[in-house]
Amino acid sequence: MASPANLILNGGRAALVAAVVVMAATPWLFSATHVVLLTEFMSMLVLAIMWNLLAGYADIVTVGQHAYVGVGAYAFFGFAALWGVNPYLSILLAGIVAFAIAVPTMLLVFRLRTAYLAIGTWVVAELLMLAAGKLSAWGGGSGTSVPISIILYFGRARDVRLATIYWLAFGLAASAMSVTYFLLRSRIGIGLTAMRDNEEGAAAIGVNITFARILCFLGTAPFLGMAGAIITLQKLRVAPPASFSITDWTVLIIFNVVIGGIGSFEGPIIGTIVYFVLRQYLADLGAWHLIILGTVSIAVILIEKRGLWGLVRRLLGDDLIPIAHKPSAMLTKQHTG
Amino acid sequence: MLAVWINELLQGVLLGGLYTLFAMGLSLSAGVMRFVNIAHGDFIVLACYALLLLTTALGLNPVIATLIVLPIAFLFGFVLQRFLLQRVVGENVLLVILVTFALSIIIENGLLEGFGADPEKISGGWMETATVALGDGINFGVFQGITFVAAVVLVAVLDLLLYRTGIGAKIRAVSDDVAAADLIGLSSVRIYAIAMGISFVTIAIAAGFVSIWTNFDPAAGPTRLLIAFEVIVLGGLGSLWGSLAGGIVLGIAQAIGGQFDIAWQIMAGHIVFLVVLALRPQGLFPKY
Amino acid sequence: MSTTAASPLLAIEGVSVFYGNFRAIDHVDITVGAGEIVSIIGANGAGKSTLLKAIIGQAERVEGDISFAGDSIVGRRTEAIVHSGIMLVPEGRRLFASLTVEENLRLGWQVGRKAEIGFDDIWRQFPMLKDKRRQKAGLLSGGQQQMVALGRALLANPRLLLCDEISLGLAPLVVNELYALVPDIKRRGIGVLIVEQDIERSLAVADRFYCLLEGRVTLAGRPGDVTRDLVMQHYFGL
Repeated sequence: MASPANLILNGGRAALVAAVVVMAATPWLFSATHVVLLTEFMSMLVLAIMWNLLAGYADIVTVGQHAYVGVGAYAFFGFAALWGVNPYLSILLAGIVAFAIAVPTMLLVFRLRTAYLAIGTWVVAELLMLAAGKLSAWGGGSGTSVPISIILYFGRARDVRLATIYWLAFGLAASAMSVTYFLLRSRIGIGLTAMRDNEEGAAAIGVNITFARILCFLGTAPFLGMAGAIITLQKLRVAPPASFSITDWTVLIIFNVVIGGIGSFEGPIIGTIVYFVLRQYLADLGAWHLIILGTVSIAVILIEKRGLWGLVRRLLGDDLIPIAHKPSAMLTKQHTG
Repeated sequence: MLAVWINELLQGVLLGGLYTLFAMGLSLSAGVMRFVNIAHGDFIVLACYALLLLTTALGLNPVIATLIVLPIAFLFGFVLQRFLLQRVVGENVLLVILVTFALSIIIENGLLEGFGADPEKISGGWMETATVALGDGINFGVFQGITFVAAVVLVAVLDLLLYRTGIGAKIRAVSDDVAAADLIGLSSVRIYAIAMGISFVTIAIAAGFVSIWTNFDPAAGPTRLLIAFEVIVLGGLGSLWGSLAGGIVLGIAQAIGGQFDIAWQIMAGHIVFLVVLALRPQGLFPKY
Repeated sequence: MSTTAASPLLAIEGVSVFYGNFRAIDHVDITVGAGEIVSIIGANGAGKSTLLKAIIGQAERVEGDISFAGDSIVGRRTEAIVHSGIMLVPEGRRLFASLTVEENLRLGWQVGRKAEIGFDDIWRQFPMLKDKRRQKAGLLSGGQQQMVALGRALLANPRLLLCDEISLGLAPLVVNELYALVPDIKRRGIGVLIVEQDIERSLAVADRFYCLLEGRVTLAGRPGDVTRDLVMQHYFGL
C-alpha cells in the first residue's frame, strides 16, 4: 500500500491533524491581525459546510442561507443587548431562533421543486431582511452598534477578547465538521449519497429521503444562526443589508464550495482556504473579484464538476477524510440500460 | 375614500401588467426546460442598459431602440442556451442553478464596473407625462395603460405561438418528453435554444417598458427575478394567462403595501406570495 | 440472400455499440432491403433496442459501419438520419402526452421527407384517429396510442421503418390489427426492421430474421428454413 498516491494521502491526513492542532492554538501562535482573519475564516467555513451539506448531499439548493445568518445576528443582539441575557447563552439562543424560523420556512418552500425551492428560500430571506428593517429597537433600516458592555464581556483586554471570539468560531466550525462527518457516515448520510448518485439506490437502502432532507434543512439553521451571532461579535453591528448580506453569506459561500468541490467533505474546506488566500490579491479589484469568482465557478462546473477536490481525488483515488463507504460517482449520469 | 381605494386598485392592476411582462420569459424557460434561470432579472437589467446606450449614445427613440434590441436578444438567448446552458441542462438541475446564479453575479458586477451604481432611467417623453383622468380623483398614466395592454397582448401572442404554431407544438413536445423528441429526430438542443431565444425577446420587451416605468441600477436584477418568479408560481406553473392573474395579484398587494412605505410595498408582495403558496401551492390557475 | 438487392437499403457491418465501457452490441452484421421485412428476435437485454438507437443516431458510441441507401450514417445527427428516410417507432410509443393526436402526427410529417404519404392516408388507415384528432394523445388507450405512434412514423415517409416492441402491453386483437398493416407498408417499398420479444408474431410476418443473444447474432435465416426449437435455443442461448 505504499504507492505514491497513498503516501500523499497519508501525508495529507497527517497534515490535517497538524492543522487542527495549530488551529486550536491559534491565539497563542499568531498575531491579533491573523486571529481576526482566522475568526472570519472559521465563520465562513461553517457557512460553507452547511451550504455543501444541503446542496451537495440533500439536494436542496438554497440561495437564501443569508436569512439564517441575519436572523442569528438579530436574535443575538436582541437577547444580549436588549433583554440582558448572558451573551454566551445568547449565541446559543440565536441558533435556536434560527431553527424556529427554519421550521415554517421548510413547510412553505418544500412545496416547491428543486429550482423553484432555490428561489423560494431567497424570497423568505428578502422578506426577513425587510422585516428586520422594521425593528426600531434594532435601529430600523440603518441598524445599530453592539453595546460596548457586551463586547467587554468576552474579555476586557483586546487580546483576550479576540482569542475568546476566535475559540467560539473555532468551536462552532469544529462541531459543524464533526456533526456533518457523523451525519454523512450514518444511514441517513448513506441514503442521501445513494439518492444523489442514483435515485433508485436510496429506496434500496431504505432511508426515508424526505425525512433526511428535512433533517438537513433544519439541522443547518442553528449553525448558521450561531455563525451569525459570532459574525456580529466581529462586525460589532447589526444592520439589515450587512447582517443579511446575500453577497457575503450566500454568493461567496456558493462560489467557494463550487470551486473547492461540491458534494465532498473536503470541498468547502479547500474552497474557503483558497478564497482566503486569493482574497488578499482580489480585494483591490472591487466588483471584478466577484466577476472572476463567478467565471471560475462556471468554468469549474463545465470542466470538473467536483471542483479542485475532484481534480485532486482523480489523482489520489481516495478521500482525505473517508466519508464514502465506496467510491461514488457523484453528479454523473447513471446508465441503467 | 372609496375613490382612493379604487384608484389604488387600478394602479395595482396596471403594475401587475409590468410584472406579467417580467414573468413571461421565465415562464417559458421554466415551463419548457424545467429549470429556473436565476439570472433572468439580471438579463432584464442588462437589456435596460443596452437600451440606455442606444437611446443616449445614438439618440434613438426608446421604441425604435427596443425594436433593435429584440433580434439581438433572440440571438443572445439562443447562443447562451446552445453553447453554455445546454452543456449542463438535463444532467443535474443543481448545475443549471449554479451556472445561472454565477451569471447573475457576473452581470450585476459587470454592469457595476461599466456604468457605476447610480440609478438610470430612459425618458419616455410625452407617454410618461400624459395621464387619463376618470374623474373622482381616479386617474392613470398613459404609459402605465400602454404597458398593461402590452402585457395582455404579449400573453395572447405567446399563447398563440405555443398552442397554434408548428414551433409551439415542437416546444411543447420537447417539454413533454425530451428523449422521445430526440428519438424521432426533433432536435431538443435546437428547440431549447429557440425557446430560450423567444424567452429573451420577452426579456427585451420587459426591459423596454420597465426602463421607462422606473429607475434601474446594476443591482436591480434580483428584485425583478423574485417578482417574475412569484408571478409564475402564483399564476400556476406553465399557465400564461395565470401569470397575468398572478401579476395583477402581486401588483395590487404591492399597491396596498405601498400606502405605508417602500419596504412594506415589497414585503406585501412577498407575504401574499407565501400565503398563496401555503394555501394553494399549485397556484391560482394551474395548467394541469 | 436472393431477396436482398445488390446494395441493400440498410447495411450494418461489423457494428459494436458501447455504453461507457460496456459492449452492448458486438460485431453485428445485418441487412434490410427495400420492401423487405426483417425481424430481430432476442430476449430482454439482448441489445435489440440499442441496435435501433445506433441506427437512428442516438447511441453513445458506435464502432463499425452503418450505411443507408449507400451512404454511411454513423456519426450523423438524428435529424439528418430521419430526414434521409429512417424513422423509429419507439418502444413504449413515446407520444407527447399533452399534444393532440393531430399535433403528434404532424410532428412526424415535419421531421420527415414530406413525400407521398399524407394525412389522408393515415386517416384512411386509422379512421378512429380522425375522430379523436383533437384529443390529447395521453388520454388514448394503449392500442390507439400505438396507432398514433405508427402513424407519426409513416407520415415521416420513411424508406426504412424501425419498430421497437410495438406489441408490448397491448391486447392480442389490437396487435393483430397493427400487424395487418405491415404488408401494406411492404407494398409501398418500405423496408421494415422489427424488434420483438414475441417470436411467433415476428416470425409470421418476417421475410428474414436474426437472433440476437448478448449482443451477438447467433442465428439468421428465413422463418421457413428453421425449426421453432432451433430458434428457441438461440433465443435463450441454450
